Amino acid sequence: MLMCRDLAEIASDYIDGELSARQNLPVKMHLTMCQDCRTFIGNLRASTRLMQAHSSGHPDEELLRRIDARISEALKTRRTRDNDGE
Amino acid sequence: MVMSVREDSEERLITLLKAQDDQAFHEAVSTYTPGMLAVARFYLDPSTAEEVVQDCWVTVVDAIQKFEGRSGLKTWLHRIVANRCKNKLRAGKREVATDFSEVLEPELAKRFNSARRWDVPPKLRFHESADTLMENGALSDCLDKHLSALPETQRSALMLYEAHQHQSEDVCNILDVSASNLRVLLHRARQKIFLMVETFQETGEC
Repeated sequence: MLMCRDLAEIASDYIDGELSARQNLPVKMHLTMCQDCRTFIGNLRASTRLMQAHSSGHPDEELLRRIDARISEALKTRRTRDNDGE
Repeated sequence: MVMSVREDSEERLITLLKAQDDQAFHEAVSTYTPGMLAVARFYLDPSTAEEVVQDCWVTVVDAIQKFEGRSGLKTWLHRIVANRCKNKLRAGKREVATDFSEVLEPELAKRFNSARRWDVPPKLRFHESADTLMENGALSDCLDKHLSALPETQRSALMLYEAHQHQSEDVCNILDVSASNLRVLLHRARQKIFLMVETFQETGEC
């Protein structure tokens, strides 16, 4: 029988639809009976959506400027090379 | 064949990149650099990761001419970064050490009793939508803090899967992890975010 801790261990797989129909059934049955696990799954889903809504991971502007500068230099070199090759 | 707006705009961007258009490179750099950094930070410390991403962009100036579109542009860029990082790790003879043995975060694991039932169940239900929650600047700052404190392997897996919307198979290929290990990385990262939001909602503390 699937217990709360077992469900917590596979909660992400359940949320992402990674469980087979056979694995899904005991999870669904457990969730109909267990309010705490329903709350846990609901909150884990909310955390996932929070991550998606969060704009973290944007590099600082200074890094983007450095990359742009290096690309401009590389493009100049490439154009010169292309022109010399013509 | 009917192309989606996204595919159409990616196709347009690739054409301009191949034509060596400065503005197109500028657009691509701001769009794709966050994901490339997430890949690089899976393997390397933050400052080396930034160097590698810069070097990769310089490589892309020439390499884009040979891009055939067998994968999306984002996946192609992420693979370039991953390969370069792996080469760097091999050169330095360092390996990425990750523990995949524990599925539950210790903080969460201790909330179950010996009968595997909740001893300390989730205290609150997050009622608001993600967007509403994110309007709380303090929570957003707290999320930033916790994301940067995640082990790089978990953080990168989470960023590529959630924020950059890669399919699991893509993330496995880019990071060179098995599907089951990716599941562990994602699940542990999500548990940490869950615990953080719960504490924040309950106490207002980060």
